[in-house]
Order: sequence, then C-alpha cells, then structure tokens
Amino acid sequence: MKKAAVKKYHERRAAYLFVLPAVILLFAFLILPAFSTIRYAFTDYNILRPDEISFCGIDNFIELFQDKDFKKSLVNTIYFTIIVVPFQCALALLLAMLISPRKKGVSIFRAAYFSPNVTSMVVVAILWSVLYNPNPSTGLLNAFLTKLGFPACGFLTDPKTAMNSIIFMSAWQAAGYQMMIFLAGLQGIPADQYEAASIDGANKFQQFCYITIPGLKNVIKYVVMITMIQAMKLFTQPYVMTQGGPQNSTRTLVYYIYEQGFQSRNFGYACSVAAVFFVIVITMSLMLKRVIKAD
Amino acid sequence: MMKKRTVCAALAVSAAAVSLAGCSTGSSSSGNQDSGGAKVVTIWSPTDEPAIEEWWVEKINAFNEAHKGEIEVKREAVVRANSYAYEDKINAAVTSNDLPDILYVDGPNISNYAEAGLIVPIDAYFTEDDLNDFVDSIKVQGTYDGKLFALGATESSVALYYNKDMTDAAGITMPDKLEDALTWSEFEEIAAKLTTDQVVGTNIIMDKGEGLPYVLEQFWISNGTDFISEDGSTAEGYVNSEKGIQAATFLNGLIQKGYANVEPIQQEFHNGKCATMLGGSWEVATLETQFPDVNWGVTYFPVADNGGIKTSPTGDWAACMTKNADEAAAGEVIAYLMNQENVTTYAQAIAKLPTRASSYDTLTEYNEYPRSLFKEQSLNTGHPRPRTPGYTVLSPGFSEAMMNIFTGADIKESLDQLAEDTDANYQKNYAK
Repeated sequence: MKKAAVKKYHERRAAYLFVLPAVILLFAFLILPAFSTIRYAFTDYNILRPDEISFCGIDNFIELFQDKDFKKSLVNTIYFTIIVVPFQCALALLLAMLISPRKKGVSIFRAAYFSPNVTSMVVVAILWSVLYNPNPSTGLLNAFLTKLGFPACGFLTDPKTAMNSIIFMSAWQAAGYQMMIFLAGLQGIPADQYEAASIDGANKFQQFCYITIPGLKNVIKYVVMITMIQAMKLFTQPYVMTQGGPQNSTRTLVYYIYEQGFQSRNFGYACSVAAVFFVIVITMSLMLKRVIKAD
Repeated sequence: MMKKRTVCAALAVSAAAVSLAGCSTGSSSSGNQDSGGAKVVTIWSPTDEPAIEEWWVEKINAFNEAHKGEIEVKREAVVRANSYAYEDKINAAVTSNDLPDILYVDGPNISNYAEAGLIVPIDAYFTEDDLNDFVDSIKVQGTYDGKLFALGATESSVALYYNKDMTDAAGITMPDKLEDALTWSEFEEIAAKLTTDQVVGTNIIMDKGEGLPYVLEQFWISNGTDFISEDGSTAEGYVNSEKGIQAATFLNGLIQKGYANVEPIQQEFHNGKCATMLGGSWEVATLETQFPDVNWGVTYFPVADNGGIKTSPTGDWAACMTKNADEAAAGEVIAYLMNQENVTTYAQAIAKLPTRASSYDTLTEYNEYPRSLFKEQSLNTGHPRPRTPGYTVLSPGFSEAMMNIFTGADIKESLDQLAEDTDANYQKNYAK
C-alpha cells in the first residue's frame, strides 16, 4: 500500500517535470506578453520611451472607437475572412478529392499542391506581386489578359481588386495544408459505403452530398475553425505586397497594430487595438463554435 | 533506476527551456568585454553594396588591430529592404534594451531619436577644425536642439538620369547647365516622347518607403512650398497648399498618362526598360560597374514651370551614439569613422558625395562630369528633408498618400488627410 503511494508520487512528479518546459515557454512567450499587452493598452507607452510610461485610463479605447482607420481595418479583416474561409476550404476539399484515389502519379500532384505551403509567405508574396504587376511587359497575368484581348487589370494597384487579389493568392498558398487534413479525412471514409451507394444507383454528386460531406463533418469543423483564426491574423501579404494600400483597401487589423506600434511609435495605442482584436477573435471563434454545435 | 533517468531528462529539458526563455542577446549593453578584456563597441548599419561591405571589413580590421586589448569593434549589417525594416529593428531594440553603441540612422530620423533621448550628443569627439571641414548640410541634418547628434561620411543628391541611346534616337538634347535645367513641362514632354510599348518614359518612384518623400519633396519646394512649416510643427497649409496640390497633380499626371510605372520593376532604368529616372548620386557607381553597356547621361533635377526654385534632395545616413554606449570607447570609434581618410574612402566606395570639403582634394573625379553635376547640385541647390520629430509619421504618411493618389484617390483629400494626421501626431507627442 505504502509502496504504491510512493510510486504514484514519483510518477506525478515526473509528469509535472515533463510538462514544465512547455508551461514555462507558454508562460514566457504567450501568457506574459498577453497580460503586458492588456496592461499597456491603458498607458501612453511611446515605443522609444520605455522609461516614461504613464497610465491614461481608457483614453486609447475612446480614441479607438472614433478612429476611421481602425474601422476600415476591421472591415477589411472581416471581409478577407468571410471570403477566404469558404473559398480556401472548398479549394482544399476539391484538391483532396482529386488526389485521394490511389492512382499512379498522384503523389506528384500531392507534393505540387502542398509545395506553396512550405514556401515562405514572404517569398510567395514577392513572386505574386510580380505576377500581378499592372504593366503587361512585366506582369505575367496581365500579359495573358492583354494577349487574350482583355484590358490590363491593376490587381494590387486598384483599390477595387487589391484585396481580392490577396485573397486569391492566400488561398492558393495555404490550401495545401487544409488539403492534407481533408485527405486524411477522406481516407477514413470506408470504401464500402461508396460501393453500396453506387449499387443503389447514387450518382457521384449524391455520393458527395450523402457520404463524403457527412463523413468529413468533424474534419470540416476543425478546418473551418483554424482557417478562420489564421485569416483574422492576415499581415504578411499586405506588409509585403501593398503596405495597406491602395487607399486603405488592404489594411488589416494586425497590419494596423504594427503601423501604430512601430511606425507611429504609439505602442500603448497599438496594444489597445490588439486587446480589442483579441476580444473580436475570441467572440468570433465562440460564435462559430456555437453555430457548428447547433448543426 | 529507470525512473531516475527520466526525471533527470525532464530536468535537463526544463533547464534548457529556462535558459532559452531567459536568454537575451546582450550583445550591446555598455561595458561589454570580449575574452581578451577589450571593450566591445557594436555598430548597426544597413547592408550595402559590395564595395561598402568590403570597406567596413577593412576599416574595422585596421581599427581592431591598432586597439588590440582596448577596443574591439563589431558591426552588424541590418537589412533595410525598401520599407521600414531597419527602423522596426531599432524600435524593437529600444523595448528590449538591446541597442548597439553606434547606430547609423537616416538623416530625417535623427530629430526623432534625439527628442526621445535615444542618442546622445557627439560634439565632444570632434575638434573645431574638424567640424569646420564638414559641409553645412550634414551638420544641419545632425543637429537637434542646438547640439550635434550625428555625423555622416556622405551626402546624397538626386538628378535625372537618361538613356542616351533613347534620347538621341528621339532627337532630344538634355541641358548641361544648371540655369537650363528642365522645367516640369519639358520633363513631361520628354517622358511622353520616350514612352513606347516596351519602355516607360521615366521613373519617379525610387522605392515605396523613404524614397518617395526624399525625392518628391523637391517638387513641393521647387513650386514655392514644402511639406511642413520651418519649425517642423505644422503641415496644414504646406503639404496640402495650392502649390502642393499642383506638385502632386503634376506627378500623378506622369503616372496616369503612362509615362512612369506605379509599380516600377527593380532597376528598370539600368535594364533598358525605362528611358529616364530620378536617381541618386550613388547610381553612378552601380551603372559604371554593373551596367557598363548602358549608354547613359545625367542632367539636373527638374524645376517648376515659370521660374520655380532650383532644388535637389540632400541628406544621408549618419552615425549616432546611443544612450547605451560606453561614451569614451564609442566616441573614439565615431571619430575614427569620420576622420579625413575614412570619409574620403567611404565616399569613394559608395560613390556618394563626401561630407568633408578636404576630401574633394583627393576625389578629383568630382571635377568631371557626371560626378561634378552632383557636387554642383549638393553645394548650390540642396535642401534637407524636414527636421522634425514628427517625421516618422510624416514620411510613411506621405508615401501612402502619394501611392493612394497614383492609384486613383482624390489629390486634395489625400493631402488634407496627410496634413491632419501629421499635425495630430505632432500635437499629441511633441508639442510643448
């Protein structure tokens, strides 16, 4: 009896020691900074004067809710999320279904579809800004358009198309990851279900609606959730490709936080934007979770 | 036994994690010493062309050799890109107290850093004779609140480069005297003539970061206004004045009529995709060494119609001493970097104008075209960028406003917004 208790104690100690590194790292790089952000959100912290931080109450938040640029960034971020999540998930599912059958040569496509995802977003963004170049002698896409007799499109330099151009590129870059998750999900659906369905005379579309989709239900929930959270954090693409322009059309919340904190030196204000952003992301995740659960 | 081992392993991992979490790159706090007991002086400067990178290696080795056991200089080349990556790194270093001892900063940022107490005066490390040898523009740029905070080895200028083959083919002769400098309408006419399906007439976007205000402010000045008031406190009625709107309208015309690209390709002039460009004095060396086949010439910065002010950009990166520095050691290094020989060789390597008058005795190439043109501009028509701590908001704000205008935004609205934002930032952070 006593021996067992000692053993249990030792095991428990070992367990705590094993989680310790993760907890320390999590605390140092996630929890501590998160609390600092909330604390600084109520100060006038100028990034160049870390020694002169003074408490300013809710001034930052009052300013925030009157700030046109903040509102525009919020609208842009939500627009990006609403469009990119279904588009990217559908694309990923399509790709996964294309490469799911175990046929010869499929692994080449699997690697090809996944490769943009392992390439750094900065590299991809630079390449795509060349593809999108408005001058047909440089931009490949415009070279095609003009060859086919269409007028050249401004893509990133036209406020009407800039965000959509970023959406398309982002989905292209990131879909490979969700494709892999869908692929695993697809392979978990027993093949005899499809066989039975085809014997019963169900066509491919019916099979997709009544076997594939229900079979992937949990995978879809997970994929939509992570895609949404990733989409809310959009930063690299506008930073590299458009610097938030043209005419604010691609300024996202995270980019706005960066601009306020670093370029304008208003670190306290940037923290208040970050705090509000945090609340928005949490709320949206909870709402999505509820919608999915109700289903 | 087995259990003991697992516990040990877990402890080792967590110890590693603790040291990782608590680590800081303490490369730059004062009083840093290397293993030989020498004081380490760190320098941050932007990555540069190969000639300058070689210059750094050579000069640092020479200094370290001469000061063995006393001072050891280390330089970190920081990527600047054509955005604000370098400034971001400085900001981050301030929050983590990781500033180097010596920091190279772009001219117009000096006021901001000095105002924030990030950098300290360096008057003490130069004799009066020494300071008299430096040209005024670099001292004006480095002075804030009556004290000298920064000195650089080079000055810059911008002029209109042109592809001689293209201008000759079009029968265009470019002016070779300052009094005959192109007017805006002549500039536009030439750009129009040289624009073809394959080649754009000109390039007015040096880069989308600091390049925009650096080059384009001259169009405001030439038209009789500026970005902000003389004391640096007010943009309203300057950047968005009637004359400012005229300047922006002229520049926007070049883009909208297709004479200049809104998304210029890297080095489009060098590669024959662009007939003329508003380019920096440093391009002389790039063209000579890397593009020997291009037949090019250079003429003066264009001037506003109807007797506009003759003007050209000045200003360049300069060395500052941070508040973290060991003053004596860092002062010695700055004095070394700015001595007569080093200013001369640095300016020569980067093909920018030297800041010491005496350097021109050695650099005889500045008596001859094309370099003589930049020397002439720098001495006669140079205008530094606004000296205001609010420049860090004005500069990206101006770049953004111009890119908005080039992509179809209303000119007056964009400039009004810029003036409003600039003034609001100044009032909030710097007004006394």
